[in-house]
Parts: sequence; C-alpha cells; structure tokens
Amino acid sequence: MTAHLQTEGRVAAGTLLEVSDLRTHFSTPRGVVRAVDGVSFTLERGKALGIVGESGCGKTVLSRTIMGLQPRRGTHLTGSVRFEGKEILGLPPQQMRGVWGREMAMIFQDPMTSLNPLMRIGRQIEEPLRNHLDMPRGEASATAARLLRDVKIPEAERRLRQYPHELSGGMRQRVMIAIAMACGPTLLFADEPTTALDVTVQAQILELIGEQRRDRNMSLILVTHDLGVVAGHTDEIAVMYGGKLVEKAPTRRLFASMRMPYTEALLRSIPKLEDASHTRLAMIPGRPPDLVNPPQGCRFAPRCPYAQDRCREEEPPLVATPDDPSHSYACWYPVGSPEYRAARERIDAEKGRAA
Amino acid sequence: MTAASGAAGPTVRTPKRPNRFLTGGSVLSLTWLIGLTLLAFFADYLPFIRYATARTKSVTNYKAGPGLDFWFGSDRLGRDVFARCIYGAQISLRVAVASIIVGIVVGGALGLIAGYVKGRTDATINVLFDVLLSFPALILAVLVVGRLDVLAADVPWLTRTWSVTIVLSLLSIAPIARIVRAQTLSLSEREFVLAARSLGAGRMRILFKEILPNLVPAMVSVAFTGVAVLMVAEGGLAFLGYSVESPSSSWGKLIAENREKIDVAWWATIFPSLMLFITVLAFNVVGDRFARRFDIREAAL
Amino acid sequence: MRYALTRIARFVFVFVIVTFLVMLATRIGSKDPVRDLAGGQVGPEVIAKVEADFPYVRACEGTITYAPCMVSQYARWVGDVFTGNMGYSYAQNQSVVDMFKQRGPSTFWLGVWAIVIGLIGAVPIGVYSAYKRDSPLDRVLSLGSFAVLSTPQLVIAVFLLYAVANRVAFFPNIPDYVAPWSNPVEHFRNFFLPALTLGIGLGAVWSRLLRADMILTLQSDFINLARAKGVSPNRVLWVHALRSSVLSLITSVALQLSGLISGAVVAEQFFQVGGIGGRLVIAVQQNDILVIQAITAAVVAAVVVVNVGVDLLYAVVDPRIRQARALA
Repeated sequence: MTAHLQTEGRVAAGTLLEVSDLRTHFSTPRGVVRAVDGVSFTLERGKALGIVGESGCGKTVLSRTIMGLQPRRGTHLTGSVRFEGKEILGLPPQQMRGVWGREMAMIFQDPMTSLNPLMRIGRQIEEPLRNHLDMPRGEASATAARLLRDVKIPEAERRLRQYPHELSGGMRQRVMIAIAMACGPTLLFADEPTTALDVTVQAQILELIGEQRRDRNMSLILVTHDLGVVAGHTDEIAVMYGGKLVEKAPTRRLFASMRMPYTEALLRSIPKLEDASHTRLAMIPGRPPDLVNPPQGCRFAPRCPYAQDRCREEEPPLVATPDDPSHSYACWYPVGSPEYRAARERIDAEKGRAA
Repeated sequence: MTAASGAAGPTVRTPKRPNRFLTGGSVLSLTWLIGLTLLAFFADYLPFIRYATARTKSVTNYKAGPGLDFWFGSDRLGRDVFARCIYGAQISLRVAVASIIVGIVVGGALGLIAGYVKGRTDATINVLFDVLLSFPALILAVLVVGRLDVLAADVPWLTRTWSVTIVLSLLSIAPIARIVRAQTLSLSEREFVLAARSLGAGRMRILFKEILPNLVPAMVSVAFTGVAVLMVAEGGLAFLGYSVESPSSSWGKLIAENREKIDVAWWATIFPSLMLFITVLAFNVVGDRFARRFDIREAAL
Repeated sequence: MRYALTRIARFVFVFVIVTFLVMLATRIGSKDPVRDLAGGQVGPEVIAKVEADFPYVRACEGTITYAPCMVSQYARWVGDVFTGNMGYSYAQNQSVVDMFKQRGPSTFWLGVWAIVIGLIGAVPIGVYSAYKRDSPLDRVLSLGSFAVLSTPQLVIAVFLLYAVANRVAFFPNIPDYVAPWSNPVEHFRNFFLPALTLGIGLGAVWSRLLRADMILTLQSDFINLARAKGVSPNRVLWVHALRSSVLSLITSVALQLSGLISGAVVAEQFFQVGGIGGRLVIAVQQNDILVIQAITAAVVAAVVVVNVGVDLLYAVVDPRIRQARALA
C-alpha cells in the first residue's frame, strides 16, 4: 500500500462532506449572478460523486465554493458546507490554507497552464510536502519520486528535474494528480480532469484517479460535462442545470432509469459507437439560462421538449423517487409519467410526419 | 438536513471604474491647459503680464521675492518671473505642438502607408525606422542643433526656435509612425475593411473612409502624450544650452539660467519648474485618459 | 546560429549608418574640420600635426568626389578605432581613450545606482499594488507613480537640489568622483542625489510595468493551483508570480542601461558629475569631431551589447525559451 494516510481527528468512514442549500451569488454591474442557487448533498468517505452539466451551469463555481477557493470580492455566500463535521463556508483563506493541499485537493482542467512553467516538477510536488508536513528536503525529494511512481510516470528521478513543457499532456495531468495526492487528502476535486487530453489518455487518467481513491479511501468529486466520463468512475451522479441540482442518483440507476428530461437529453446527445455513420448528433436546442434573470418556474422549461404550462410557472422541488430514496429529481412531469408519455407520442408523431 | 447556518461571506461590492473621459483629473488638466494657452496667446494684451523684458528701473538683481508687485518674484535683470513664465509657455507650447504636428503628419503618413500597403514598402520603411530609432536621441538632438547653429550664420530664418522644432519633429516621427503602422496593420485585417473591399471600394477610399477615422482616437492620445514628452525634451535641451535665443525664453532655459542662484532666489527656478511639471502632467493625464477611454494599446513613446 | 548571425548583421548595419551619419553631421557647416579638431584658434604647426595624426579629417571638396571621399574617411576612422586609436581631443588635450577612462566610471556608477534605486522602489510597489489591486493603497500608488513619471528629470533635479542639497550640508554642491571601494561614504555623498534624480523616474515607470504584468500573471491557472495547494500568499507572490512577470521589466532595465550615456546627461549636468554625457555636450559646442564620433560609437555598441545580454537573460529566466533556442 503506497498511500500516505493521516488519521488523527479524521473521519475514517461515514459522512465526510455535507453541503446544505449552498448559494453563490456574484454582484456584477449587470445584476446578481446566481451561479449556484441552492445545492445540497452529502458525500461519504471513500465515495465518488460526479457533478454533471453543460458549461455555465455552475458546477465549477460549486466545487470552488465548497473548497473555499472562490475569490471573495463581490461574492455573496449562503448556506452551509461542513467538512468532517466542521463548518468551513466563508472561512478566510488564512484558516483554509492548512486545509488546502492537505485535506482537500483539486486537480484542474488544463495541466499545461496549471503547472508553473518556470519551476521544476520536483519542486512543485515537494512544495506541499515541505509546507504542510514540514518535510526536510531529502525526504521530500524521495517522497516526490515515489509519488511519481505511484502515478505511473516512468523514470521518476529524471522527471523531477524537468519542466512541465518537457512532458506530454497525459504525463502533466499525472503530475497534477501526484501533487494533489502528496499529503494524502481525504477529498479530491477533479474539475474536468480529462477534457484537455486525448481520448486514449483520458481512460488511463480516470483509471489512475480511481485507483488512488481506492488505495487511500479518498472521496472524489468529479466535475465534468461528459456523462461518459462519470459512467464508470462514480458511485453517485448529480446533474446540475442553471445553478441548481435537478437530479441525483446512484450511477447505475441514473443511467437505467433517469427521471429528469434534461438528464435524458444529455444521455441522448452522447454519440454511440453503434450508431450508423451520419447519424445526426442529438443536440439540446437553445442556450443555458441567464443566471442573472433565470426563468420563472423550471429553469429547463424553455428548452424542454415536454414542458407544460405548470413547468413554466412553478419551480419543481427536488423530490425522492418513491422506490429509492437515494434517487431524487426535480420535475413536474418526469420521464415515465403519463404526461411525459403523451408528450413523447406527440413529438414522435411530428418527427414521423416531418421525416 | 442542517439548517442554513448563515455563514455568509461579506458582500464586497466592487463596481467597475467608470471609463469616462471626463474624470476629475482630466477636467482639471484640460482647464489648466486651456487657461495656459489663452494666457500665453494673449500675453501681449494682458495688463498684468508686464516687465517681461527689463523695463523697470526700480528693481534689480533678484531683489523682489514673490509678492503683489511681482507675482513670481523678479529675476536677475529685474524682469517679472511670472511674465517670463507666461512668455516661456508661448515658446514651449509652440515648439512642442508644432513638432508633434509634423511628427503626426509625416510619421502618420509613413506608418499608414507601411501598415496598409505592407510588403516591400513596409520592409523598407521599417528599416528606416530602425535606424532612426537606434540613433541616440540626445546625440541627434545636440548634434543637429549644434550644427544648424553654425549654418544659421548663413541662413537668416534658421533661428534656434526653428532648429529645436526641426530636431524634435525628427525625433517624434519614428515612434509615431510605429504606432500608426501597428494600428493600421490590425485595422486592415478587421472585418469592416474586408467588407468594404468586397463591395468594390478602392484602396484610397478605404484608407480615408475606414481606416483613417479609426486612427483618430489613437492619434489624439499620442498627440497629447507626445507633447508632454516633447516639452520635457525641450526642457532638457534648453538646460543643456540648446534652447531658443535670448531674449525669448522657454521654461527649460529659465531653469538653466537661474539654477545657480537657487539658494538666494528660489522663485526664479522653482516657478518655471512648477509650470513645466504641471503642464507636462496635464498633457499626460489627458493623453492617458483618452487612451484608456478608447482602449488603445501603444508602444512606449 | 542563424539567429545570431542575423543579429550581428543588423548590429553592423545600424552601427555603420549611425556613425557615418554622425560623421557627416560634424562636417555640416564646418569650414575647416581640421581646424575644428585642432581646437579653433591655433598656429599652423598644430594644424600640421593634427593633419599628420588624423589624415582622414579634412574637408571633402567637389560634388562628385564628395561621397567617395567621405566613405573612405569613414573607413579609415573605423580602421583606427579597431586598432585601438579612438582619436584625440586637441581642445582638451586628452586622448579619447583616456577620456573614457576618466569619465566613464562616473557615468557608470550614476547609472548603476539609479537602476538599483529604481528597482528597490519599483519591485515591492509593483508586486503589492498588483496583489492589492484597486485597493485604496493601490490607487494612491498609481496616482503617485503617474505624477512622478510625468515629472521631467530636470524638475526632479531642481527640487532635490533645493530641498536637499542646499539644506543638508552632507551633500556637496559640486561632486567629485570617488570610487566606491576607496571611500564608500564619499562615494555615496557624491552620487546619491544625481542617482536619485534618475532613479525616481525609473522606479515610477518600472512599478507600473511590473504591476501590469503581475496582474496578468496572478490571473493564471498555475497561480490558482498554487493557492489550492495551500501555498502562503507571500510565496505565491514572490516565488511563483514574480518570476513569470519580470520579462518586461528586464527589457526595460536593459534599455535604460544601454541608453545610460544619453539618459543621464541632464542629471549629470545638473549636479555636475563629470560624466561622458557632459563631455558630449562640450564636444558638440566645440565640434570636437573625434570625441563625438567615439561617444556615438560607444552608445550604439552599448545598446547592442545590452540587447544581447537581455536575450541571454531571457533564456536563463524562462526554460522554455532555452529549449526553443537550443532546438532552433
């Protein structure tokens, strides 16, 4: 076992993170941008949660807010974020600095721009080790090399002395993972970790993250717009739209029996290998909602093919499915309900006529 | 589900700074500049600007400090420092503004051609600039004025004022041309130019109707900042002895003349210095505000 | 390699053109260059000697033969320079090389201290005003630096002279040259005010430059990651951000260094520091031809040397440039 675990005062199992009605609003000249508008969930130690949504739905702001990295100027935060039982929302950076890199870590989307181009890799990995764990230089160096081996980078010692631009994209992302793992955090945020990488490398990176997670009993929040990414690597998925959570379910169940039409649309838009060539890519028409003046009622209503009048007037609350309390959704006429079926028939008929 | 514990971060409102041109600073600056120009322009007719040339007999040799009689005090020959400052403004402004105008016209034309025609013409013009810019400014200035001095014996209209203007114009051509060239290059790639071309507009037409109007904001900003720079340059030159011939005076010359006596008659040096400083600052503020209003990126002049 | 060759070619080209033009300029309106060089009103033996020493300084007659005549004179001057003979100033009775040796150090130290003063001011101000962007402190500093950089060197000198030199007996009105290693206190006394005059203006410009670059850098992703790693703000600023923001600053410092001779003239003259710039002014007044040409050559050469130095420094600071160059 190569993990570097710390166990004092740590939650070894059970609830690690509790987010309640979190809202992040920005004051801008145009008005108040409600980037995150009432998100709640809990995360257990060792589990992986995927947060999925289009660009602009607030998922990145969500992860940064939870971690506390969001810049504070012009930002209004409400709600609660409890990490290991302690409230951390709104804590000033001085107090959070001990947590960052040590108990919570984040890996970013673009490894080329996220690594300091003028600093050797070794130094960048050693930095949190020496900072948080007060490791002497020699030990830090050896640990850094070991971390590089953990993330499957060959010739670890040689790599320590190299600069980021001398490595390939996949390797750079591995370095980022190594940096994140350095002090053995209990919670890892991965913000679009594979978007900037080649498809072939994506799978490897996701595998690596999963492996580290299991070895270290670490929780993971995987933020992405790509449902394919979360499919095999998360325990639970939360779908975000317009700053709100619109569906949350264990992964298998989400794919098997989704309720929210937005989730359905997301799934449909994934091109499948089995499709014939020249199959039209199914798009979701329209654009994401304006976060300053969100539509009244359900935020997805303007783009939802099954929208009824009620959807446009009243906002649906997040409710649990009758048969599984861990699956909740926010829709008046979810997939499978009679109104949905009627609307579906109508649409198919129109398609048939037009085809 | 825990209740919202209200651990809200402070709401810090940071509104965007207004990008208007007429801020407090620029209004003050413009007022100063307009006032100064008017004073300088009408100096001959204003009753309170007197004794610029030694006319009084009662006061000699720096006798008077600043006071009611002599607002800025009197200088070595009993002349009123205030009046000399105003007449100095005449000279300093005239020289700097004339030079910048020449610089903009010539430099602008060259830059425009280089940026629009591109190719060989651009390359040749570029080389020209390179050489001009590599010429140490001071050496060029001092040398040219010095040599023109010698020539002036044979050429009657070649007063020092002209020499200095010629030199300053020469020095401002290259930097202005570079800026104009850069702007032209970027403008000529923009869609509205391509649109005009596709509608069959000829080259000259495009130049005058599309590109030139868009260069105006940059040119105005360059003009103001340029005048500031040139005034400083003229001040420096004057201090080194290369200024306008007596009895006229520019601020730099005033400073140079009265520098030795600064401990007994500080007013003769300090006031021209203040005038120079405030005027240069005013030009800079206006030029800078203008550039920021129209979002102009320029190479350092 | 090719890159180096083009740079050298450009340097040679610029050098030749500029020094040639300067030579031409010294002949404008001069009735008798030899007499000018000899120092004006001198006897025929002196003239003869001057002609013997420097046969290429004479008026070129004729419209057709003028150009080739000047070119050949120029060529011989260049030849002389390369063999170490930079000329002689008969008016001051000193060889040019000696003049450089005597006055060079003053200009050099003036420049060096000015740059040091400028950097000492600019770096902390630039870094902190970028960090505390738009705070009241930042606004005040911004205004201040703008006001300072609008102030002509001349005016700064006047105020320093008036406010300090005349009040504080410590600073002499007419400085001498004293090497820093022989007597540091004396050296400081003599050079501080002129260096401050020059340095204040530099500091103002540089603090703005650095602030702008730092603001851009602080928005980068890798700064975000550093924060997310729990790195302290001081380290983020000084270790991570500063390194990426210094490129423009380095270029500007180098520019200043290379333009030292011309840039320092006003300060030199004002405080009467016996530097090269001051000598140039005298030389032009007297049309001391060879001195003028020599100083010009020195200035152009300095620009090139410093530019090359900057290029090398870039490679040291940024490993990506190092690699790109190695492969090119």
